[in-house]
Amino acid sequence: MRALLDHLLTGMVGEIEERLREDASRMLVSRGDRAGAAQLRQGGQSAAERLERAGLLANEALLAELFARLRQDLIAERLPVRAEDDEPSLLPRLAQVGDPAVAAAARGLLVAESRRREALAMGDVTASDLPAELHQQLVWRVAAALRNGDTSADRALVEAAGRILATYDEGERADAQAMRLAFAIDARPQELPALLDEAIGDRRLSLVFAALALSAQVPFEVVRSLAVEPDDERWWLLLRAVDLDPLTMARLALALASADPRRGDQDLPTLLDAANAVSAEEARAELAVLRLPPDFRAAVDALGSGEAA
Amino acid sequence: MSGVARGTVNAAGRLVAADPALATLHARAGGNADTPLAVVPLASIARLARRLGVVVSRPVTVADEEADVELWVRAQPVGDEVRLAVSGWRAQQPWPGPRGDDPVELEGWRWECDAALRLTHLALGAAARSGSEVSDLLGQPVTALFTLEADDAGGLPLIDALAQRVALRGQRARVRSGGKPVILEARVRRDAAGSFAGFVGTARAVDEAPPPAPPLSEAFTQGLDRALRRPLARIVANADSIHGQADGPIAPDYADYAADIAGAGRHLLSLIDDLADLQAIERADFNVPAEPIDLADLARRAAGLLSVRADNAGVTVLRPPLGATASAQGDFRRVLQILVNLVGNAIRYAPQGSAVAIELGETEGRRTVTVIDGGKGIAAEDAERVFEKFERVDPAEPGGSGLGLYIARRLARAMGGDLTLVSAPGRGARFTLALPAG
Repeated sequence: MRALLDHLLTGMVGEIEERLREDASRMLVSRGDRAGAAQLRQGGQSAAERLERAGLLANEALLAELFARLRQDLIAERLPVRAEDDEPSLLPRLAQVGDPAVAAAARGLLVAESRRREALAMGDVTASDLPAELHQQLVWRVAAALRNGDTSADRALVEAAGRILATYDEGERADAQAMRLAFAIDARPQELPALLDEAIGDRRLSLVFAALALSAQVPFEVVRSLAVEPDDERWWLLLRAVDLDPLTMARLALALASADPRRGDQDLPTLLDAANAVSAEEARAELAVLRLPPDFRAAVDALGSGEAA
Repeated sequence: MSGVARGTVNAAGRLVAADPALATLHARAGGNADTPLAVVPLASIARLARRLGVVVSRPVTVADEEADVELWVRAQPVGDEVRLAVSGWRAQQPWPGPRGDDPVELEGWRWECDAALRLTHLALGAAARSGSEVSDLLGQPVTALFTLEADDAGGLPLIDALAQRVALRGQRARVRSGGKPVILEARVRRDAAGSFAGFVGTARAVDEAPPPAPPLSEAFTQGLDRALRRPLARIVANADSIHGQADGPIAPDYADYAADIAGAGRHLLSLIDDLADLQAIERADFNVPAEPIDLADLARRAAGLLSVRADNAGVTVLRPPLGATASAQGDFRRVLQILVNLVGNAIRYAPQGSAVAIELGETEGRRTVTVIDGGKGIAAEDAERVFEKFERVDPAEPGGSGLGLYIARRLARAMGGDLTLVSAPGRGARFTLALPAG
C-alpha cells in the first residue's frame, strides 16, 4: 500500500514537473533566453526528490485523499463482476441512453476511470485527479522545487503553473463524474437498490459511493472513507440511513468482502443482523454530523481539541 | 468436462441430494449420507448463503487426486435448504496452456470489454499515442476501435475466442483512426458464477512484417531446466509452508494465495519435466530401464487417477477386473504416464453417458492394453499424424498440447513395444499399447 502510494505520488509530481519544465522553458526560449531554458529543461535534481527531502512531498490532507482513493481503487479492481448473457454492462448501456445528461455523464465516468486505472496499474499518470485545492498546492510545491535562483526562470515557472491550474478541471475527476452520473440518474428511493446492485456488479464502486452520497446527503469523500475501512460501523449506519433493504445490504457486503482481503465474510450475518436492528430514522440521527459541511466539521473538531488541550 | 452438477444442502448442512460429480467429491472428502457436506469450501459457501438469505457465487479450488480443480459454485437459499450449482470442473493450469482461459502474455496497451464486446476500459494515453482519438470510443463496440484482419486460414481469432469463451491470441488488427497495425491478445474475464463477462486484453504495436520466432534450441531447454527447477522447488516448498501456516496463523486469503502459488509452481515443474522428456527421447541413445510390471494393475491405477474427471464428464471407465493380471516388461512410471495420457484423451473425446473400455490382450509375444472410446474417431489418413510432434487431429478442440501422444509412442518404442491406433470417423478410437511379455 505504502509502495503504491509512493509510486502514485511520484508519478503525479513527475507529470506536473515535466509539464512545468517544458512550458516554462518554452516561454524562456520565446523571450530569447536559450541558456536559461536549457538549464530549466535539464538542470537540477527532480522535484520529487527535493520535496521529499524537505518533507513537503505530501501533507496530511493529500495523504488521506490518496490513501482513501487507493483503497477504493484496489477494492474496485477486485470486485467480482456479474455478466448477463452477452448484454452490455452498466456504463456502456447508460452511455447509449436517450437522456443526454445520463449518457454524457456515463461516458465521462468511463473516461475518468480508465485514466485513474492506468495511472495506478501502469504508472501512466496523465492527470492528478485530485480535488482542486490539493492539486493547486501540489503544483505550486513542484514549481517551487524547480527554482534555480534565476528571476526570469521564476517568472516563467509562475506562468507555467498558472496555465496548468487554469486548464485543470476538478469536474473531470472520476469521483466528480460519478457524482454527476448519480445526479443525472437521480434514483428514487425505490430505485436505489437496483442501481447499487447493478453498479457493484459492474465493479463501478465510485458510482455506488456517489449514489449513496446523493441519497444520504453526505459528501462523496465521507461515503468513501466509511466504505473503505473494513470495520467502520458507520458504514452500516449509512446503508440503514438510506433505508436499504437487508438483501441489497447483504449483496453489497458480500461483494466488498470478496474484494477486500481485510474483511471476512463469515461474521457478515451477525453484522447485518445488528445493522438491520437499527431503524432508518435512528441511523440518520446517528449520521447527522456527517452531513455538516466538511470545513465546518473540521473547525468543530479543531475547536474541541483546542479546548481540551 | 463441462456441465453443471447440482445438489441440495439441508438446514443441518447435510448433502441430501446430489448429482454424481458432486456426490463423488463429497465422498472423496470423507463424507457420506449422514455427515455434513465434507467439501469444506462448498460447505462454508452454503452456510453463508443460508445465513444471509442471498445467492452467493464464487470460484473455489478443491483438491482432487490428480490436480487441483477449480469450481464455480452458486449457492441459492430456498427456504431452509440451499441449492448448489457447481460448474467448471477443470484442472487448474496457471501456466498459459492449451486451454483458452489461461492467462495469456499481455504486452502493449490495455483494453477491456464486457460480454457484449463494448469497451469498458482503455489505456487512453497509450492508445492516443498510437494515433487514435479514443475517449469517445469507451462504451462502443471493440470494432469501433480496431479493424480486425483475418488470419492465414481466413478466420477471425476474436470471433472464435468469443464463440468458445476462450483466450484470444494473435488477432491481427489495425487501430481504426491511425491505421497502425497491432496484435490483440486477451484473457477471458469470468463473473462470480463462471460465465463469460468479457475480455481483458492488450494491443501490441507490430512492424508490418514481424520476424519469425526462433526455434526452441536444445541448449535453451537445458538451461531452462537447470535455471528453473531449483528456484521453483524452493518456491513450491515455501508456498506450501505458508499455506500450511507453519509459522503461525495468517489471513485465509493469503493462505489461499500461497496454495495458488504452490499449484502454479508444481505445474511449471511438470512442464519442465515434459520439456526434459521431449529432449531425452529425441536423443539417439535414449533407453528406458525394463522391469517386470503388471499392465492390468497400471491400467487400474490410471483409471483411478482420472475417476473424478470421468465422473464429471459423465463417462464410465471400464477398468480391468481386480483379479486380472498381465505381466510385461517396462518402466513402471513411464507406462503409467502413457496410460494416463491414453485414458485422459479417451475421456476428453468420449460423449457424455458413454463408456471408455480398457482391454487386456496378448499378440505375437507381447502384452497389450487397449483403450477404446466411443468418440467421433479419427480418419485413417490422420491416424499416423496424431503421433507426430505438435500435431492434433482437431486444432479447434480444447485441451491437449500435441506432445502427449508423440512422447507416449517414443516411450513405448524405447521399451521395446509400440503404440498404435485403429480408428474410423464416427466409430471411436482404439489406442493399443504393446510391451514385451514379462
